[in-house]
Amino acid sequence: MIKTAQDMKSYKKQLKEALSDKFLRTALDNFYTAYRENRPAVYDGIDFEGIKKEIATGKDGALPYLKELYEEFKVHAETAGAKVHIAKNAQQANEIITAIAKEHHVEKIVKAKSMTAEETFLNDHLEKEGFTVTETDLGEWIIQLRKEGPSHMVMPAIHLSRHQVGDLFADVTGKKQNSEDIDKLVKVARQELRPTYLAADMGITGANFAIAESGALGLVTNEGNMRLVTTMPRVHVALVGYDKLIPDLKTMLRILKVLPRNATGQAITSYVTWIKGAVECGASPSNRKVMHIVFLDNGRLALAKDPVFSPALRCIRCGACANVCPVYSKVGGHKYGHVYIGAIGLILTLFYHGIENDRVIVQNCINCQACREVCPVDIDLPHLIKKTYRAVLDQDGKTPAKNLILSRVMKNRRLFHFILRQGYLAQKPLARKGPMIRHLPNFFEKRHGFRSLPVIAETPFRDQWKYLRKQVVRPKYTVALFAGCAVDFIYPEHARALLRLLERHRVQVEFPKDQTCCGLPALMAAEEETARDVALQNIRAVQPENYDYILTLCASCGSHLKHNGFKIFKKDSDWLGNLKEFSDKIIDFSSFMVNVLDVSSEEFKATHKKVAYHAPCHLCRGLHVTAEPRKLIQLAGYTYVRSKDEDVCCGFGGSYSIDFPEISAEILKKKLDNVEDTPAELLVTDCPGCVLQLRGGMDKRRGKIQVKHIAELLAETVF
Amino acid sequence: MPNSDLIQMMKQRAETVQAIVSKITDMEEAVRYTVDLTQKQGGRTVAAAGLNPDEARLMKTACETFQLELLEFPLRPHTHEIHTSFTPADWGIAETGTLVIDSSSEDVRIATMLAETHIAVLPASKIKPDSAALEKELNAVLMADTPSYYAFITGASRTADIERVLAIGVHGPQELHILIVEEDRE
Repeated sequence: MIKTAQDMKSYKKQLKEALSDKFLRTALDNFYTAYRENRPAVYDGIDFEGIKKEIATGKDGALPYLKELYEEFKVHAETAGAKVHIAKNAQQANEIITAIAKEHHVEKIVKAKSMTAEETFLNDHLEKEGFTVTETDLGEWIIQLRKEGPSHMVMPAIHLSRHQVGDLFADVTGKKQNSEDIDKLVKVARQELRPTYLAADMGITGANFAIAESGALGLVTNEGNMRLVTTMPRVHVALVGYDKLIPDLKTMLRILKVLPRNATGQAITSYVTWIKGAVECGASPSNRKVMHIVFLDNGRLALAKDPVFSPALRCIRCGACANVCPVYSKVGGHKYGHVYIGAIGLILTLFYHGIENDRVIVQNCINCQACREVCPVDIDLPHLIKKTYRAVLDQDGKTPAKNLILSRVMKNRRLFHFILRQGYLAQKPLARKGPMIRHLPNFFEKRHGFRSLPVIAETPFRDQWKYLRKQVVRPKYTVALFAGCAVDFIYPEHARALLRLLERHRVQVEFPKDQTCCGLPALMAAEEETARDVALQNIRAVQPENYDYILTLCASCGSHLKHNGFKIFKKDSDWLGNLKEFSDKIIDFSSFMVNVLDVSSEEFKATHKKVAYHAPCHLCRGLHVTAEPRKLIQLAGYTYVRSKDEDVCCGFGGSYSIDFPEISAEILKKKLDNVEDTPAELLVTDCPGCVLQLRGGMDKRRGKIQVKHIAELLAETVF
Repeated sequence: MPNSDLIQMMKQRAETVQAIVSKITDMEEAVRYTVDLTQKQGGRTVAAAGLNPDEARLMKTACETFQLELLEFPLRPHTHEIHTSFTPADWGIAETGTLVIDSSSEDVRIATMLAETHIAVLPASKIKPDSAALEKELNAVLMADTPSYYAFITGASRTADIERVLAIGVHGPQELHILIVEEDRE
């Protein structure tokens, strides 16, 4: 049975179990790396970005017409001898299928894998009604025998080892199995299930596509079990979500270009099957299959009209959002979803399985944007996860204390900065004289101690500014520095390094004093209203019309300021014009140095020190900046050394690392292990949040590699 | 794309998904291939579905000569004993090494699903570069008012459900052989 945590305490306990499951950890780590390594080759010669926009536009265009598509499908399917039904909810779907089974005196049922049937808990229902139900997809059969739910939408038994499967098959067959030989284990399923197909009266499948113009179903599979399930028994029932309706074959063929590639790294699956109507069937007295198609609503039609959440219905269940998720890779699907797994699961669970199953898991997103990038139907998953969390908070009618405080403080810049300044005094005794707090006071739990914490600066950058500002004669560019809280209050030296680098380039830098937090932490806590308020404060403070660029040293601030404003401002806001000007002028440090100032290697003395690079999530995926920082490292006279998984999250995620320190620590460990596997002496990145995490982790493990912001790195070799 | 390039691509892409591809010249060679392979694998039976009467006669004679049993239609009573199945393919898709087989006949379905080894005969002239090039033909089948069961088959049946290790031959055929006939058999 599925045991999704319903409160944070039991969730933390579950996470701890998952993190200490050695097999799971190795299996998921290997999968995580292999999937990502394999992907570019699979997409060779294919315009992924282009196709994904096309599919998204097509899907969105169809959503308002699901009912019409349904009617069109029904006419064509019924002309060819099928019977088409509507189920308003899971219960009704299960009852319709039960009634069909009873009407046709069915005893034994075989099933091919269907997430929609998982959604309605169809097997439980049918078994209670006295039917024998056998799953025939290998992974589904394994988890059915173990009485578990799937831990991945495409590979349901990915959490199990060959030994666990071997032991299970030994029980099933009454014969000892050689667990080392996976081929033999697979053959056990072949032999055991063959007679089951032949004896079954009814086959149940899902469908990947329901093509309206022809009334045909499209199914995408690999093992061949679905073909047997739809061929041998005299009755076939397909349970299909409304969201699987598409207008035509062209749409299906387009989606078919990305579905197998994204799901399993195949150009195409072994089998793609179209079934229309009641085909020939020797097991049926009429020599025609008894064919029923049940369309499941279960909230989909309402979701299709939802102005915020409707893109979730674009999902084609490729499972890739789990494959690239650093959190999934640490804890697995049983702890990262309810029935639907991965980023899309954190969203759909609220709509299909209720708030009680989503309340806790929806909080476990680190916002690294990896799922968004890989999604073949262009769903802004991280954003919708936060929207889902907001919906959970609203439905509960409760605001967590953390959110109350955060909103109150962030809206008031003076109060916020006052608190940050007090932080310096509060932590002074802990830090003794160093730049790091290595031992947290006792009232912090031990699990937070995986990294040393930086000391808040004695003098924030904003107070240093009056001594640092320089008037530039005939400046080439006038630039506003958006420092962000981390640079302003923890790492003012990053900004000083920047000023030093700009000296020779005739750049007039200004520091608009009333700037405050970018607002990302508020958005991450689903406090959109606060994020909007803060965004307005920043636009007013900076006055973008006065500058050529708004320069930031923080990738998270940068990508938030560039993109998120448009998601949180009301469509009729008077400030949209100002917001656009503000967003357009945002630029990150590396892009400014390389693309605007066009810095050359002659400005730096060569050291040839070896430097590894960590690509911040919000730089490489948020701002799509990838080449510039690597180029900059080399221009500045260093030798850039590539490390494994450079673009994988460091585990910081702002408050994520405080909410889920045990996961943050594991992601960080992997990152630092990868860096230490290289000959690098330095590790650089262009986000102070990542610096905090990486430097803290390196300090804690007494590592020899120094962690620096890329601006600091450059300031060391600049002439 | 010249036909020889399409054939080459079809062969190469099908081989990357573990299909065994040979070029042959006529139906006689295909039949010969089938009985040889069946004997070599120790099989005793052949199911041949979707053939025209001449082709069926060829297969019958060959099976009799080599003492193999050519299973009779309907195939449903024989589901437990099909070693080799032999079917024509309607189309090939070079880009992915895919066979396209109209499987609306139950005998074709049983043959292509329940055999240990599936041998498909594909005329070289029926190879299309990609699935988009087949859209019209496929849609003509689907848009008809009659029931249909249409299949793309790419390589043998496979799974990676245990530890993501690729295993060939789960529920469908364990081997897929593609015989490309370079001279159109019609």
